[in-house]
This record gives sequence, C-alpha cells and structure tokens, in this order.
Amino acid sequence: MSSSHATNPPAAATSIPFKRILVANRGEIACRVFRTLNALGIASVAIHHRVEARAKHVRMADQAVEISGETPVAAHLDGRQIIEAALATGADAIHPGYGFLSENAGFAKAVVAAGLTFIGPDAATIALMGDKISARNFAAARGVPVAPSVMPTQDIDAFARDAAAIGFPLLIKAAAGGGGKGMSIVRSASELTQAARLAASEAQRYFGDGRVYAETYVERPRHIEVQVLGDGQGNAIHLFERECSVQRRFQKIIEEAPAANLAPELREAICAAAVRLVAAAKYRNAGTVEFILGADGRFFFLEMNTRLQVEHPVTEMITGLDLVRAQIEIAAGHGLPMAQGAVAQHGHAIECRICAEDPAREFLPETGAVRYLGVPEAEYLRFENALDPGQKITTDFDPMLAKLVVHGPNRDAAIARSIAALKELALLGVTTNIDYLARVLGHPAFRAGDLHTGFVAEHREALVIDQPTPDVLHQALIAAALGFREFHDLAFSVPEPHASIGQWRN
Amino acid sequence: MRRIQSMVSPSSAEFRRNEAHNRELVATFRSKQDAARHDRPARDLERLAKQNKMRPRERIEKLLDPGTPFLELSSLAANMAYGGDSPSASSIVGIGIVSGREVVIRADDPTVKGGAWYPLTAKKIVRALDIAMENRLPVVHLCDSAGGFLQLQSEVFPDKYMAGRIFRNQSILSKIGVKQLALVFGHCTAGGAYIPGLSDYSVIVRGTGAVFLGGPPLVRAATGEDVTVEELGGADMHTSVSGTCDYPAANEDEAIHIGREIVSQWDRAKKWDIQREAPEEPAYDPQDIYGILPDDIKKSFDMREIIARIVDGSRFHEYQPNYGTTLVCGYANIWGFKVGILANNGVLFNDSSLKGAHFIELCNQNNTPLVFLQNITGYMIGRDYERRGITKDGAKMIMAQSCSRVPKFTVMCNGSFGAGNYGMCGRAFDGRMLFTWPNHQIGVMGGDQAANTLAEVKMNQMKRNGDAVDQVEVERLWENTRKAYQEQLSAYYSTSELWDDGMIDPVDTRNALGIAISASLNAPLGEPGYGVFRF
Amino acid sequence: MAFKLVLDGTLHEIDIVRRRPHLVVRIDGCEHEVSVTGSYDDGRQAIEIAGSAVHFARAHAADRLLLRLDGRSFEAKLLDPRSEETGGGQDSVRAPMPGAVVTVHKAVGDQVSRGEPLITIESMKLQTALPAPRDGVIAAILRSEGEVFDKDEIIVRLEDMAQES
Repeated sequence: MSSSHATNPPAAATSIPFKRILVANRGEIACRVFRTLNALGIASVAIHHRVEARAKHVRMADQAVEISGETPVAAHLDGRQIIEAALATGADAIHPGYGFLSENAGFAKAVVAAGLTFIGPDAATIALMGDKISARNFAAARGVPVAPSVMPTQDIDAFARDAAAIGFPLLIKAAAGGGGKGMSIVRSASELTQAARLAASEAQRYFGDGRVYAETYVERPRHIEVQVLGDGQGNAIHLFERECSVQRRFQKIIEEAPAANLAPELREAICAAAVRLVAAAKYRNAGTVEFILGADGRFFFLEMNTRLQVEHPVTEMITGLDLVRAQIEIAAGHGLPMAQGAVAQHGHAIECRICAEDPAREFLPETGAVRYLGVPEAEYLRFENALDPGQKITTDFDPMLAKLVVHGPNRDAAIARSIAALKELALLGVTTNIDYLARVLGHPAFRAGDLHTGFVAEHREALVIDQPTPDVLHQALIAAALGFREFHDLAFSVPEPHASIGQWRN
Repeated sequence: MRRIQSMVSPSSAEFRRNEAHNRELVATFRSKQDAARHDRPARDLERLAKQNKMRPRERIEKLLDPGTPFLELSSLAANMAYGGDSPSASSIVGIGIVSGREVVIRADDPTVKGGAWYPLTAKKIVRALDIAMENRLPVVHLCDSAGGFLQLQSEVFPDKYMAGRIFRNQSILSKIGVKQLALVFGHCTAGGAYIPGLSDYSVIVRGTGAVFLGGPPLVRAATGEDVTVEELGGADMHTSVSGTCDYPAANEDEAIHIGREIVSQWDRAKKWDIQREAPEEPAYDPQDIYGILPDDIKKSFDMREIIARIVDGSRFHEYQPNYGTTLVCGYANIWGFKVGILANNGVLFNDSSLKGAHFIELCNQNNTPLVFLQNITGYMIGRDYERRGITKDGAKMIMAQSCSRVPKFTVMCNGSFGAGNYGMCGRAFDGRMLFTWPNHQIGVMGGDQAANTLAEVKMNQMKRNGDAVDQVEVERLWENTRKAYQEQLSAYYSTSELWDDGMIDPVDTRNALGIAISASLNAPLGEPGYGVFRF
Repeated sequence: MAFKLVLDGTLHEIDIVRRRPHLVVRIDGCEHEVSVTGSYDDGRQAIEIAGSAVHFARAHAADRLLLRLDGRSFEAKLLDPRSEETGGGQDSVRAPMPGAVVTVHKAVGDQVSRGEPLITIESMKLQTALPAPRDGVIAAILRSEGEVFDKDEIIVRLEDMAQES
C-alpha cells in the first residue's frame, strides 16, 4: 500500500540540525520515535526507571539514562532530571511522545530555557490549549463551533428563554451537581420551564444551590478528530480526520481513518475548522483537534492535543507520511512537509489498542507476564509495541500493551484484515482485550459504521464472548493436553511394540 | 525376505471342520478364563466394596498406562487344583506398561479367601519374580493378602521353591538393581509383610492397608497385648514411626497415582541391541490358524502355515529348506524383532536334529532370539536310527539349545511328547516364556501309547508268572491308564500346574511373543560357549 | 487412568485410546485422531485433528497453560489426582517437635491453600509456621494459643473442600 503514497520529501533530512534527540517517554511510543530517529541518522537517548532498565526502548536507543522517582511514573514526570539527562548526553532536542510531560507547558519552557529544542509547540500554546475554558473561548472566537450553553442562573424564566434559543435537545444540569441529580434531557420548548424548575428544586434539595445550567445535548455523539500540522508561522494543513468513537472507561480502544460514513461536505467543514484554529494559534508541531459530532451533523470543538497522538499511525497509513519526522522537521524550522493540496489519502486504516484488561470485568486492568508473543506479519500491518518475552505486566504503567494498526484498500477490507490479525495475534500470560476488539470489529453496527461513544455500552450484551463450539473446545483440550508434560510423557514414552499393540488383553 | 505362499484353502471342508473344532476349544478356554477372572462369591465382593476397595483387576487397569497392552500370565493356574477354590492361583501376574516402563505386575486377589496363598500361588509368585530376574523387569506388587493358606502349609512353606523363595527372589532382584514397588491396599500379614518390607519402595493406603508379622488376634494370644490394626501396622504408623512403608495414601486411587509417579522416577534400562525392522502385520489372517490346526492331534499339518500367521509380513527366510525337512528353521521378524524360528514338521530324525543344533548355533552367533514352535512326537526310534546315533544327534540339539546365550521362547502348538520336548526348549530349559495353545497335549508319550505300553507290560508280567491273561483286567488297566494320561496330557492340566506361563488363544501368539521378546531385551545376553558335543 | 483438565474453569476428562498409527484421545466420551501432535514447546504449534490442521499458540505459566486457538484465549490446568481425589493424603498437621502454640492464624471452617501458614509454634526458642499440607478446610484446631504439645501430636486437622456439583 505504501508504494503509492506521498512520503515526506527527502531533501529536508540532510539538513536537520539535531545530532542527538532524547525521547522523554517509554514503551511503544519511545520505540516508535527511535525508529524515525534511526532512519534519519539521528542518535537517540532513552530514559528509564530502575524497574525498566532492560526494557526494549532502552535497548533500542543508542544511549540510556536512568532516572529515579518514588514510582516509575513519578520518574518519568520529573522534568528536571530529564533535562539534565539530555544535557549530560549532549542531546539537542527532546521529543516528549504522548502522555507524561508532552503537554506540560512548564516542561516545554524549561527545555527551551536549558538551550534545547522542545519538539512541540511553544509553552504558551500548550498552556492555551491545555486549559479547557481558554481553549474553548479561543476556538469560539475563531469561528470554530463550540457546544452552546447557558450559564448558571437561578432566574428560571431568563434561563428558559436563553436555553430555548440554543435549540433542542438540551441537557439541564445542576450547577453544583454531580451523580445525575437534577439532570434531565429536554427535547421541546414546552417541557423546558417545567424541567428547569424541577432541576432547580432538586439542585436546591441535594446541593443547597438552586442554580442550573444547560448545554446542547449531543445524542449518540461521535468522536471525530483532525490531525493537523502547523509551522508556527500561521501556516497549517490537515491530514484528514480520525474517528475514535469506540471507547471504554472514557478511553479510546479502536480508532480509524478516515471516519466511516462522513459526508464529504461535513468532513471538509470539520477539517477546515481545525485548520482555522491551528493557523490562528500560529501552532507549531503536529497536533490533534478533537470534535464531538452529533447524529444531526452538528459538530463542536472538544479540545486540542498539542502532541503526537496515540492513534497517529492510522493517519500515517492513509497518508504515507511519517508524523514523527514531520514533527522533527517542523521543530528544525523546515516548515510543513507539503502543501494541503499535495496531501493524498489512500484506503482505510484501523488501530486497535491492545490492553491488559478483562472486558468481562468492567475492563479492569490485569497483570501478568508476557509468556509468549506471536505477532502477525504483513506489509499492511504495524504492531506497535515494546514487549519482551518474560516481561512482567504490572500496574506501574498504563495498561495499553501495544497497538495493532492495519491498512486496507477500503473500510471493509481493513476490518476483515484487522479481525484476522487479531485472531492470529497471540499474547499469552496476561488477560487482554484482543478477542473483545475482534468482536467489536465483527459487530454489524461497527461494520455499518454506526458508531458513537456509547457503542460499548449499547452493544454490551452482544459483545460478551460466546461459548466455543464443541469442536473448538476439543481442539483446545487436545492442544492443552499436549502441552502438559504428564500427558506428553504418557502419550509418547510408551516403548515399542507396546505402543503399536495398543489396548490389548489376552 | 520372501512371503510364505500359503497353500491353505479356507473354503475346504477340512478347513471348516478344523475351524469349528478349534473355535470351540478357544470358546471353552475363554469361558474358563472368564470364570477364573470374574466369578466370585457375592459375599466377598460386597465385603470389598464396603471397604472401599477396588477389585484387583480394576487396580491393575488404573495402574497401567492407558491404551497399552497387558500380557497376563498363567490366568488358568490352579484351574484343576483345590477343587477350583483358587482361581488363577489367587493372584494375577502379567507384563504391562506403567509410566512408559515395562514392568511385571503381581497382584494378590482378595476376592478369593481373603487373598490367601495356596501352594500354586507361591509357585506363581516365584515364577513372576523369576521372570523379573531373568528379564530384568521391575516389579509392582499389589498387596492384599491374608497370608499363607494354613491348611496346606506343608506345600506352601518349607521347600526351596515355596514361599521363602519369594523373599529370596525379592532380595536378589534388589541386589541386581531390579526395582520393586509394593502398593499395600490390604493386609500383608506374616511372611506377606516382607513383600513391602523387601520392596525398594512402598505405598500404603490409610485405613485399609496394614503390614505386620502378626495381626491383632495373634498378638493378643501371644502377649495379651490389645492393639488395633491401625496402631499395629497402619499407614500412619508405618510411614511416620516405623519407616516400614514410604508413602501414605488416602485411598487406592492415590496409592496408584503415587505408585505411577515412583515408577516414572526409575531409570530406563538400556535394552540389548537386537536387529529390528519396522513392524508389519502378517499378510495372512491369524484367525486362519483355527482352520489349519487339525481337529485330531494325530493329523499332521505344515508349520509354515502357522509361521505365516505369526510373523511380520508373513516373511520367512528358511534355512536349509531341503535338508532335515521335519524341522523347519529360518529367520523372521515378530513385531519388528529379528528371531530364529524352529518348528516341527514331523518326528526329529538325525538330519533334522543336526540342522536344529546348527541353526541354534547360528542364532547365537548372530545375537538372534530363538522361537520354538512345538508339535513334536519325539526323536525317531528304531535300530537303524540308533545305529546312526539318533541319541547323540538329539543330545547335540539339546546341548546347543541348553547353552544358548540368546533368549528363547516356546509355543506349545499341538503336541509335545518325549525327548522332543527337551530339544525344542521345554519348560526345563529356562526359556524366557512358554505359552500353550488350548488344543495342546504334553507327556512322555501319548495316552494310547502309554496304555498300550502298560497293558503290554502287565500281560507280559502275567505270562511270566504263568497266570492266565485276565483280559478284563488288562482292558481296565488300559482304560484307566489312558484316562489318567489323557487328563494329565491336557493343556489345562499343564497350565494349572504352571508348566507354562499361560494358555493363550493362538491368534494372540504374535502379541504375546512381541511383548515377551521386548521384555527379554532388558537383560544382557548370557555367556557364550557350549559343553562337549558328542560328535 | 484419565487426565483431568480444567479448561477455563470447566472440568474435562481426556484419555489416551491408541498411539498407533496415530494418537487417538477420548474427550468426554468423544474420540479424536491426532495425526500430527506438534511439539511440547511453547510458541506457535500446528497439529492435525481428524485430518484437519489446527494452529494455535501455547505458553506455560507455572502450573497453568495458556492457549490461543481459533481467535480465542484459553487457560488450562491439570488437576493433580493427589490433591483432587485425596487431598495429598495428609489430613493432619503434626507437631514436628515439642513446643507451644504462639499464634493461630486460621479458624475452623476456613478454606486454606497448600502452603498457607496455619499456626505458629515455638520450640527451643525457634518459631516455626506450620503450613497447610494441602488445599482444604480446617476441620479442627486442637491446640489454642499458649498451649503446649509433644512431638508428633496432631495440632490441626483438615478436611476436603465441599465438592462443586
């Protein structure tokens, strides 16, 4: 698939000023960044806590520095140590990956203050987008749709008037509320005043604060996000959208690009809004603008992530671009890799997040060890991971173990290939959601592209694992039996001619 | 190797007549065997069930590896003794696979008189341990016996090959490195206590297993001490206090499981390296043997037809096909094992005796085990043959056979009379295993011959004494002699007295020999060399 | 003797019927010919059952066996006949030496796993925890804290866990 793709223009590579880059991260994303560094001929520095001294990302880097902390996560959040490590190893720049310090304005500032390049936006932009209110206001001011709302008030009549102006349906909430108390969905003007009064009185009763507020209620919302690149000079392009509606515990588990069943005009409008925001912010770096898309086609700005996204590979797969390389080149001042018009899209890509968790137990994290890892291989597939045989899976870090990213000429093909790859993928030693993901992909609603953030809850029963057929059960029993030494010995240690004579009595 | 070309016609009247006759014989054998194995007084079975005990054959089935053979030996031992009170001589012996290892299994049978040992029980156990010794096969004892059958103590206790020999053999087995395991399911009283005592490993079932020299009644009588079975010789006492037994087990299943685990610790003896091929089923159906064996012992048949239904692919390399033709000699494979076969096709003459002696020497030179298929009326007698030295030619064959260093196996196929029995490796010649077919007869001579001979002697005596020949008395003597002979000639008598290692259905011969040959390879070859041949 | 395998919490019996020309096993009364048996090793395996190839991945994890077959994950455990049928043959915990009870860790009726400390004793100024000899339920505790005992005295009795129906 990649042969027909646009790729980052080759010329820029030779003039990248960075000789050595420290990756302030771990796991699959550190490995992912190192891959690009290797390809660009840039030396790499890894950081690690004592517990991950032999981890794959440490082995993959040219150099590694141990950082300390009360917990492994605390070590990875200790910006001072990380900057010291970068200076000590002679790194020119720091790539933060995602999570940890990637959206920490203070860290970005400290990196720059230390004379290093932060591969990301400037600290002010991080701060702007990191605050929900300021980001929302900034977006609204640039004509990017935000979900309309009515500010908290006790004046029910004024409230009803303002709320009706937003349109329906509406979600009415207690300003001081929580736990669903004083909350209701209103679908017409006639219900509004009554519902507001009820909500206010409940709010008063439960919280001692009768103020209520309202916002547009998005039914069956879809999570659509746009991958953007900005050069920091006000130039920006988008690399199309991704759909990340399938979530559990408010976290994405399946992402795809492009979004399913998105009308071209709507798609164009969403992408244009994202570019508008990014250009206005003079954003520098790769970033993601997240939107909520309602069933009625209305979409609203949710937030902007000023870093590389977990699910960036699906965009790479349909565009053929290396986003890490684009980040480095932008940070080096080389500008955008191409003009908007040159960004092409090929086929469809799906990412499944493989997590150590038990779908049968509310997706609670699981621990264990990697006893066997069998990875499917194909030119259309990426298995992003940093797993090692024998590696312990603990609760020290995020339960995400790996990402399976699959490309196909179209969405159906990408689904079919993903299901096949999930079936082939073997990660033994810890309970994972691999089979669950395959069931989601195989569900008719997913195949139809009928997605929303409540998908997992809506199809909860249909997504429960079914009983294996007797055939499969017996196959598994035979496969298991042959793996027990006691059975193996009994089956194969009988001498001849007794084994041939078999069950014979005279 | 060429296939034997069978000349047998399964559609012939003769074949069908033979088949009907021999199937009848086998049916009788099977029904006697079935009764010996399973017919027990309900009272004994109920008592066993009440104690939560398995029947001895259930224990054996659980002990064996699943899907493997068990060659039971002497299933009809004692079938003509003690008025039938001791089926299978109150014990079960056989060769089977436990945890992938060939072992001799020897089990007491508590469903018969509490598992008491009759004289033939002792003989059977001694033979089982001889087999273990000769073939270096480990032994698993399944102990559950009340002890010696006191009414017959003079035939159980005192002599060289009686009960004491069991413990002597146990000691020697341990000395030569052949392991023994005792699983104590029931009582091991008096001498029986030495079975676990002399085993290298022992497991005892809590609650039912007990080991002591004298049980509570004997202790009370002797010393006045009042003591329970558990205190005197129970599992916990012996495994935690006396150290007489090694492992306690909560029940029989667990005892068997522990036993299997113990056996799985034993080193696998390196087998003696015999020439082996991939096994091949006989090209002719072994069931044909029923139609080949004549319905009358006096009728002759071609042993090659039997060989064709026992050996791999019915392939047979015949040695000296045109010399001494009453003894068929040649090489074949049984379950892949290369063997030298000697089979009788008539009386042994000078040339057949010499051929046999020579072939036995060839097999010893070639490290090839010997298989004797007996159907022999004896060495030829008469003036001409004696003048030609039939006795010294027969002696050569006996010398060569007796001094063989390779293992020997004998199948009593039809008849074994006179000195032919010796040359063809009869019971006295330390063959590793000897099986008898139900149609077989054995004796120094046939019943008619014996009756004739004795009648002749009687008449001569009468004549010598000048008495008138009392024809009625001679007739009676003839008839009585024939009858007594006939009974003792029968294969059932033979197997009852343990003159063999068991009666087998002819179609089972191939498997029985395969297991026996395999077992024999655990022991090293004997010393080479012969005595002085009389030339 | 049949093997008792617990696959994802359900007990199955598996037995060897034949070995030649191919391995034949019986599972819950149903026979299968396994014409290619693969190896004992961890990792990807291909076996053949009734003439059809079956691909799977397998890994050993202590006494468990993890499998991935037909896009499903399985966990198998071999039931130890010694603990299942009999509880290892040890129903009682005896004092290894004379001494006194320091702490009783369990109460009658408690379920215990093999190796769990039941009681701590002191003898010759040395404290020792007496572990459960097998999985089971505490049937009786015969010495309470502070009480003394002789060598080989039974201190705790175990009984089997109630069988699941």
